[in-house]
Amino acid sequence: MSEQTTNVNLDAEEMSAQEEASTVKRCLSFQVDDLILFLSTDYIVEIVNDYPITPLPMVPSFVKGMINLRGQILPVLDMRLCMDKPPAEYTGKTCVIRLDIDSVPLCIVIDSVCQVLDIDFQEVRPIPVKRQQKLLNGMIDLGDGKVMMSFDCNVLLEKRY
Amino acid sequence: MDNGMEAMLETYLYETNSLLDALDELLVNDEKIGDFSSDDVNEIFRSMHTIKGSSAMMEFNSLSTIAHHIEDLFFYIRDKGIESLDPEHKKELFDLMFRSGDYLRSEVQKVEEGSPLSAEAEIDSFANEINAFLKKISNVADESAEEAAPEAPASGEKTAVPGMPDDPDAAAFLHIYLEEGSGMENLYAFMIINALQDAFAFRCYPPDVETNPDTSAEIVENGFYIAFDSQDDVEQAESILKSQAHIRSYEMLENPGKKAEAAAPVVSDTKAQEAPPAKKETPASAGQAAAAPAKAPAAPAKAHAPVKQNLISVNVMKLDSLLDIVGELVITESMVTSAPELNQLSRDSFDNFMKSARQLRKLTDDLQDIAMSLRMVPISGVFQKMNRIVRDMKQKLNKDVRLIIEGENTEMDKNIVDSIQDPIMHIVRNSMDHGIEETEDERIRAGKDPQGTLILAATHTSSEVVITVTDDGYGMDPAKLLAKAAEKGLLTKPAEEYSKKEALNLIMLPGFSTNQTVTEYSGRGVGMDVVKKNIESVGGTFALDSELGSGTTVTMRIPLTLAIMDGMKVTVGKSIFTIPIANIMQSFKITTDEIIYDDYGNEMVARMDSFYPVVRLHRFFNLDTDITSLEEGILLWVEANDRSYCIFVDQLIGEQQVVVKPFPTYLNSFELKNFGINGCTILGDGSISIILDVLGLYGAAVTEK
Repeated sequence: MSEQTTNVNLDAEEMSAQEEASTVKRCLSFQVDDLILFLSTDYIVEIVNDYPITPLPMVPSFVKGMINLRGQILPVLDMRLCMDKPPAEYTGKTCVIRLDIDSVPLCIVIDSVCQVLDIDFQEVRPIPVKRQQKLLNGMIDLGDGKVMMSFDCNVLLEKRY
Repeated sequence: MDNGMEAMLETYLYETNSLLDALDELLVNDEKIGDFSSDDVNEIFRSMHTIKGSSAMMEFNSLSTIAHHIEDLFFYIRDKGIESLDPEHKKELFDLMFRSGDYLRSEVQKVEEGSPLSAEAEIDSFANEINAFLKKISNVADESAEEAAPEAPASGEKTAVPGMPDDPDAAAFLHIYLEEGSGMENLYAFMIINALQDAFAFRCYPPDVETNPDTSAEIVENGFYIAFDSQDDVEQAESILKSQAHIRSYEMLENPGKKAEAAAPVVSDTKAQEAPPAKKETPASAGQAAAAPAKAPAAPAKAHAPVKQNLISVNVMKLDSLLDIVGELVITESMVTSAPELNQLSRDSFDNFMKSARQLRKLTDDLQDIAMSLRMVPISGVFQKMNRIVRDMKQKLNKDVRLIIEGENTEMDKNIVDSIQDPIMHIVRNSMDHGIEETEDERIRAGKDPQGTLILAATHTSSEVVITVTDDGYGMDPAKLLAKAAEKGLLTKPAEEYSKKEALNLIMLPGFSTNQTVTEYSGRGVGMDVVKKNIESVGGTFALDSELGSGTTVTMRIPLTLAIMDGMKVTVGKSIFTIPIANIMQSFKITTDEIIYDDYGNEMVARMDSFYPVVRLHRFFNLDTDITSLEEGILLWVEANDRSYCIFVDQLIGEQQVVVKPFPTYLNSFELKNFGINGCTILGDGSISIILDVLGLYGAAVTEK
């Protein structure tokens, strides 16, 4: 887990070596502010909607609170706030995605879900800018002028964003 | 196949263990009174019968043999009535039963561990012990029967003349000698006769051999006869007899009809007529015994009423998913009943709808209550086991100790109850062994009641179950502990720098044991550190308090995790918090002039001649609310562990029993516990409420200021 996140910073060689092992993966793409992100469906349990979020005091603002999903209480993180984007009102398009990261369940709030697609991780390139988003660990050009960012959900557990 | 076997084994272990637990509890209770009730005798008989049967089925012979012998013993006792035993025997019986229970338990444990069961010889020696006891009490009973009716024409005893019965029709006799020392001769004879009965007609002598206990002595001495009309039958009967247990030897005899005068008929005619109806009682068991010759002979079928099971075992996973589904049902229900489309209904149909909706709500509420309570078990099971341990140690150590149990109905999550059993047992053993004074004299000299007292108590507090084990024994001497620790090289700083509490806590270091000699129960030095670890593994804390000369108290605080508690729901802005009812002393409204300020502007109020700080929840948690003046909201006077203060909230909603759920793992790193947030719970409408820890909130909000 930590390997994956540390090599975000620079080491492109190591990164491509790792990606050879994991070839094509089914991913879900979604939008947060003006960014289009994708995440392997391995991490995704389900997309939930319309669950009231109970706010929790004494936690950082990106922790929106908790939801009760069929008796399971899950924390909800707002991705906009995690990425220092301006907060937005939750609308009908707003989606809560339930993730399971190394058996730690949590939910993230994103602006909207785009599609499910297969992505060859070999084609994912490291982000060339130095001050990249910590939650992103790569980018891919889909060929039609669209660029998507690889969302690194493991960072969520480390709270280094 | 394998799976089926495993499931069967699981069921077997569960069933046997619960029967043994029940047996233990029953014995401990009965021993206190010093007597068995006849219900209990039946109960023991039945459970032994069940254990015997299921063990035989699983081919655990040691278990089935021992259970069988106990069953025999209780069959006899039941038959005679428990009153026929004198107190001396009863005492012995209790002892024997406790040991039997332990023996069975140890065997069951071997099964659980998959290690081989005890060897034949060991079983036999134990079985003989039971038999010897049975013989002892049955002899006494026989004697007393004789004493009671000496002038009655007790034909059985009087005709105890060795010799063959007079039966001119018989072609041949089988002369059967039963195993010596079984003490259950009548029963065995009965079983043999039953086994034969299906196959052919025969007569036996004495005819009432299976029903008249008075003849048992004679049977032991001389064996008994079975008369057959044809030679073929005898041969067949022989083959059946070979498969019967408890027969020492038998011989086949030709009928010496002409020598009839040599042998007197063994019994009178009146008795002979009693026999036939008795024979018809249990054809089923006879068939069974004949069909399964390798098994121990089954007891007469009428001997056990069907055991009614009030309990079933359910996989915990199923319970969890039930709880989840019920949770969702409740949410869905409230979604349906609050759907905006309902407004389009006409007034009448809306009323009708609401009526049904209310009924649905009530049902879902009930369902939820039940689902929540399923995982909870009272701690009494664990406490009852301690009863047994105290009882055993009392005898072994020759100490007179009274065990007082308090709050045994405190409910806890099943998993937690299971995991705290060993720690509690360890502490109780330690208290019995090291805590309580060696002799009564010692106690009297110290000005104490000669009988030692051990108190086992469980209580619910706001956030945890507190279990205390208190003894009124020696108490611990910090100086001694320090000396001992120094000797073992366990001190990490100069001895004089240790506070009393630190000194006491030394006992929890690995490899520390103050007792000079190692006993069966404790003193190996692997005690308290293991206990502490066990308690900590379920998230609990462990504390020791001891006064030299007056005793020791061990306090275990176990978090509720899933425990149910009564909570008061309060609102602050849009949030709903739950405060444990147990902490709430009073709720009240105040006016501005009742508020007192200190030099920092902290608010205080006076209650019952004391001043208490006010914690504004909305301010502490930084929540938006319209109610910010103390006059508008409401104050809750709370107390926990001698810390008392007032919490200011918007309003009270009401009381509810809630299941405490831990926070999701992700949130653990925020250390919410330090801010007085203890867990959360799901309310009836599916929303989440945060449970406040009154003590933690005090620490965070009052002391920090």
